Amino acid sequence: MSAPTLPLAREGFHAPSIEEFEWPTIVDIHVFGIDLSINRVVLQMFLVVLLVWGLFFFGFRKPKLVPFGLQNVMESVVDFVRNQIALEVIGRDGLRFVPYLTTLFCFVFLANVGGITPPVFFPLTGRMALPAIMAICSLLLFISVGISQQGFGTYFRNTLFPPGMPWPIYILLTPIELISTFIVRPVTLAIRLLANMIAGHLILSVFFVASGYMLTSMNISTVFGVGALIFSVALIAFELFVAGLQAYVFTILSAVYIAGAMEPEH
Amino acid sequence: MSDSGPEREPSGRGAEMVWSIIGTLVAGVLAWGGIGWLLDRWLGTRFLVAVGVLVGMAGAFYLIIKRYGAS
Repeated sequence: MSAPTLPLAREGFHAPSIEEFEWPTIVDIHVFGIDLSINRVVLQMFLVVLLVWGLFFFGFRKPKLVPFGLQNVMESVVDFVRNQIALEVIGRDGLRFVPYLTTLFCFVFLANVGGITPPVFFPLTGRMALPAIMAICSLLLFISVGISQQGFGTYFRNTLFPPGMPWPIYILLTPIELISTFIVRPVTLAIRLLANMIAGHLILSVFFVASGYMLTSMNISTVFGVGALIFSVALIAFELFVAGLQAYVFTILSAVYIAGAMEPEH
Repeated sequence: MSDSGPEREPSGRGAEMVWSIIGTLVAGVLAWGGIGWLLDRWLGTRFLVAVGVLVGMAGAFYLIIKRYGAS
């Protein structure tokens, strides 16, 4: 080699970018011009659905009075959602939303955890489709709860015209309430989850790619590579925490929106 | 059991309040900024989008103060 080899000028280092989230099609399916092709992300989604179903099915297939093993774990999950989210946020009326909230929590958590699970290493919720669909589900749920609890007219009147204000101010406030309740709520719900998972996945990718690059560079960078590798492992623990936290936030905010639709604002 | 009280004051409102305030601010700017932008396109002016953003912010602040200021 005649040219001086600068570490960063070495070929082969590609910093991970948003392309990490794009996968080629495996099975090409088009129905009436709609792209229903299956790629790795879709396969992973099927797997997570199956996993959530299996966890609940095998957890509660032969329930024992004294829970043991998987039943114990799944009961704690249901208990957590029931007590910490449904009862805490909605109250007694929230008990009938426990199935929805528990499923949501488990699905979002397992979809997030895919980001740190070998050999998958991909957070499903890092693609917009899943957060968007789940946010739309929560949106439709709280609208229908509002309509069924308060009646169509009353619900929209209470939502769009917050009571206890002089009427001219409604000209100013009603567009704000319309946008904030029916557009900003689901959009922020979806984007909060999506952005957290994209950011976490990119940080992990950058750290692991960089660790590998530095460890194999055989100069002073190798020393730093060891540090980077240790830090990467710590980041995995952090990502596990984020996965749980974001599943919790998504679920609790869905519950908050349901609670808000059940009772008129005071 | 912590849930044995008959009608507990639902908590978890702290996080809701924060997100609701942020959401209201964003919605205010979007709603009235959008109205201003549409008026701009319709009338061929250029300043109404700025006016709309300010009006929306004012409305959002009013709503937030009315809703959370007292408690």
